[in-house]
Amino acid sequence: MPDVQALVNDFVLKLKRRKIEGSHASARHTAELLRSVISQQRMPHTNQAGALIDAVKAVGEQLIAANPVELAVGNIVRRVLHIIREEDLSSTATAIEGLGLSAGSDDDDEGQHVDHPALSAAALAAAARSTLRAPSLQTLLEDIPRSAVTPQPPSSGGDSEGKSKSDKNLRSRKLKHDVIEAINELIQDIDTCHEQVSEQAVEHIHQNEVILTFGRSRTVKEFLCAAKEKNRSFRVFVAEGAPRYQGHVLAKELVGKGIQTTVITDSAVFAMISRVNMVIVGAHAIMANGGVIAPVGINMVALAAQRHAVPFVVVAGSHKLCPLYPHNPEVLLNDLKSPSDLLDFGEFSDCMDFGSHGGSPLLHVVNPAFDYVPPKLVSLFITDTGGHNPSYVYRLIADYYSADDLVVKRRSTS
Amino acid sequence: MQNEGTSKPQKQKTSKAERRAIQEAQRAAKAAAKEAGGVKPSASSGGAVPALKQGKVAKPSSQRKDGPQVTAPVTSSEKKVVDRLPEKDRKKDVPHPRMQFDDKHRVEKAKRRAVVNQSEARSRVELFRHLPQYIRGTQLPDLESKFFQLDPIHPSVYKVGLQYLSGDISGGNARCIAMLLAFKEAIKDYSTPPEKALVRDLTAKIGSYVSFFIECRPLSISMGNAIKFLKSRIAKLPHTLSESEAKSSLQSDIDRFINEKIVIADKVIVRHAVTKIRDGDVLLTYGSSSVVEMIFLYALELGKHFRVVVVDSRPKLDGQALLCRLVAKGLNCTYTHINAISYIMHEVTRVFLGASSVLSNGTVYSRVGTACVAMAAHAFQVPVLVCCEAYKFHERVQLDSICSNELGDPDVISKVPGWKDLNHLDNWADNENLQLLNLTYDATPSDYVSMIITDYGMLPPTSVPVLVREYRREHLWI
Repeated sequence: MPDVQALVNDFVLKLKRRKIEGSHASARHTAELLRSVISQQRMPHTNQAGALIDAVKAVGEQLIAANPVELAVGNIVRRVLHIIREEDLSSTATAIEGLGLSAGSDDDDEGQHVDHPALSAAALAAAARSTLRAPSLQTLLEDIPRSAVTPQPPSSGGDSEGKSKSDKNLRSRKLKHDVIEAINELIQDIDTCHEQVSEQAVEHIHQNEVILTFGRSRTVKEFLCAAKEKNRSFRVFVAEGAPRYQGHVLAKELVGKGIQTTVITDSAVFAMISRVNMVIVGAHAIMANGGVIAPVGINMVALAAQRHAVPFVVVAGSHKLCPLYPHNPEVLLNDLKSPSDLLDFGEFSDCMDFGSHGGSPLLHVVNPAFDYVPPKLVSLFITDTGGHNPSYVYRLIADYYSADDLVVKRRSTS
Repeated sequence: MQNEGTSKPQKQKTSKAERRAIQEAQRAAKAAAKEAGGVKPSASSGGAVPALKQGKVAKPSSQRKDGPQVTAPVTSSEKKVVDRLPEKDRKKDVPHPRMQFDDKHRVEKAKRRAVVNQSEARSRVELFRHLPQYIRGTQLPDLESKFFQLDPIHPSVYKVGLQYLSGDISGGNARCIAMLLAFKEAIKDYSTPPEKALVRDLTAKIGSYVSFFIECRPLSISMGNAIKFLKSRIAKLPHTLSESEAKSSLQSDIDRFINEKIVIADKVIVRHAVTKIRDGDVLLTYGSSSVVEMIFLYALELGKHFRVVVVDSRPKLDGQALLCRLVAKGLNCTYTHINAISYIMHEVTRVFLGASSVLSNGTVYSRVGTACVAMAAHAFQVPVLVCCEAYKFHERVQLDSICSNELGDPDVISKVPGWKDLNHLDNWADNENLQLLNLTYDATPSDYVSMIITDYGMLPPTSVPVLVREYRREHLWI
C-alpha cells in the first residue's frame, strides 16, 4: 500500500500543478494508477467488491479534488467503479449458477437441494437490485451494507462450507483478475479512440468541402488526415486560437500531410464562416446534458455556425464523456490563466497592483481557459462508439457509469 | 517640374488632326503585324491607342507592344525618357477601389501605371482573388528612393501617404482628416498652369493624389466620401472667381467639412450617447474607436459610475492603446481578448461599437471581429449601440465580408509579438499548401445592431438608406 500511496501522491501533485495537460494523458494516468491500486488491494473474505469500491473511491476523491476542472480524471474513476460493480454482478451471477450446479451434483445434500433454487433466485434478484439500481431514498438513509446481499450459502454441513470457502476464494481472485482485465481494456480504448473516431471521417467529408476548425485538437487532426488518406478533397481554415496559438501547430501538421490550409485570426471567424461547409472541433469534456466544455473561443464559433446554419461537429473519445450536469460552468468548470498572455506587465503593472487603490486595482485582465457550448448549438457528436445527437448523451452515460458513483465520496464505514 | 513642363507644351503641339493621323497609322501597323502572324503579348486593351498613351513606363516594357508599333509620334519618344506617366493618364487608369483584381488585363494595366512598386503576393487565398493581394511592407524604401522623381506629388500628400503605408495613421476619422488637411496644403500651393482651366486641372491633380493614396493603402469609405465632396465643390466653383478666391473658398470648404461633419458631429454623438449610460453600467467596447473613447471620457466627466470592458484581438491589438488612455484617466477597466467574449458577456449591460461605415442595407462595416462581438451580445440579449458619423454612410450594399474587404499583411499572423519561440509558421510562403489570411474589415448584419447613434440622431439600422438617399441630396454636403 505505501507504494501505491506514493504513486497517488505523485499524481495528485502533478494534477494540482497542472503538469499533466490534456484529457488523454490524464485519463491514461488515472487508469493505470487505479489498476495499481486495485492489484495491490488486499481482499477481505466477504464483500470483495465493496472493498475495491471503497479503495478506489478513496483514491478517486483525492484525484478529483486535485484538479476539478480536469473532468477526464473523474470520468475514469467512475468508469472503474462501474467496472467493479459490473464484474461483481456478473461473477455473482455465475457463482449462483455454480452453487446451483454443485448442489445438484451433490447427492448427499438433498435437504439443501430444495432451498438452493429459492435462495439462488432471491439472492440473484437482490444482487441485481443492489448493484445496478439507482440509489433509492431507503438505501441512502439506511446504508444497507453490501455484504447482506451477496448470496450466503447456508452454513449447514461441513462439506458445503468448505466448498463455499473455496468458491469465495476463487471468486475473489477472479473478481480482481476480471476487474484488472477490464481496466486494461479501458486503457486500450483510451489509446485507440483516435483511430475509431477517424474511421468515421469518410462518412462526413466528401468532395470540395471547406472545413473550419479552431485551435488544435489531436482528434480533429487524425480525423482530417484519415479523410485525406481516402483521397477526399477539402480545404481547411484553421483559426489560430489565441492566446495559446495552437492553431499554428495544427496548420503546420495539416500542411505536412498535404491538406490545403489557411490560417485566420479568431476575429475573422464570423467573416469566413459564410463560405464554410462544416465546423469540426475537439472538446475538453462532454457533459451529461450534451453540453461541451471546450477551449475558449469555441462558443463564439458555435454561435456563428448556428447563424449560418453550418453543422457544428464535435469529435471526442468516450473517456471525455462526463456524467455530471454543468451548473454555472463558466465559473465552476473554468480555469483562469495568467494575464501575461494578453498584456505586457511592464506597461500596466502599476494599474494592476492589488496593493494600491485600496485593494481594488483599476485594471483587471481576464484570461479564461475554457468555454461552455450549450447542447442546442451542437449538431453531432462523433465518438469512438459512433455518431450521436446531443440529446442521446444521457443514454451513453448509463452504459459507462453507475448512478451510485456520481458523487465520489468514500462512504464512512460504520 | 521640368519634365512636366517640357512634355506638356509638346502635347499641345500635336493638334487633333495630327493625332488622328497618328492613330490611323498605328491601326494600320497593328493590322499588318497581326497578319504577319506576330503574336504580341498584348496585355492592355486593343483598339485605338491614343498617341499620348504610348511609350509608357519603362519597367515592364516587355509586355508593351513596342515592337512593330510606329514610333513616329514625337511625344512618345520624349516620354520614353520619363519614367512615369503624366498624371492625367495615371488618373484615368487608376484602379478603382472596387476593381476586379481577378481580371488579369486590368491588373496588368494598373500595375504599369503604378508609382509604388507592388510585389505580387506569394500565396493568394482563392476566395479573395477579386481583392488586391499586395504585400505593402516592402514598399517604404522603394517610395523613399523615388521621392525626387515624384515631383507632381505635393510633399504633404506624400507625407500622409507614407503614414498610411506604415500604419501610423489608422482609423476612419484620422485618415480622412489627414487626407483633407494634406489636400488643403496642396490647394494652397497650387497655381493654375497657363492655358488651363482651374476646375479641370485641379480635379485632375486631386485625382492623381487619390490614386497615390490608393496605392499606399486602399481608401476607406470615409475618405471616399470626402473626396466626392471635394470634387463636387471644385466642380461647383463659379467661373467668375479669380484663382486666389477659388483657392481660399475651397480651403474654407474643407475646413467647414472637417468641422461640421467630423468634429461637431462627434460632439453631437457623444451628447446623445451619454444619455444611454446609467450608473452601475458595465460597458463593453471592441478595438479602439475615437468616438467611443470620447463617449466614455465625457460620461466620466459628467460623474457617472460605470466600468468598461475592452475587448481586443490580433493582429492589431489596438485595444491596448485605448486601455492605456482610459486607465490613465482613472476608469475602472477590464481587458480581455475576443475569444473570452462569451465569458465576459454575462456581466455586460451595453455594448458600444465604432464603425468604418454603415451601408445602405443596415450592415455595419467595421474592424474585423466586430461581428463576433455583436453576435455574442445578441445571444446574451445585450443592446448593441453603433456610433458612426453620418458622412461615413454609403449607398452601397453588402451581404457578407467576402465581397469587399481589405487584405492586410499576412506575415503579421505568423509572428506573435512577445512569443519568440512561436515559429511554427516560419517560411510559410515556401509551402504552397499553406496560406495566411489577414482580413481588415467585416460586415455585421443589421439584426445584431440595436441602434445607430449619428449626428442626425439615434436611429434604427433600417433608417440608414433614408439618410443616405434623402438627406444627402438635400443638404449635398454643405
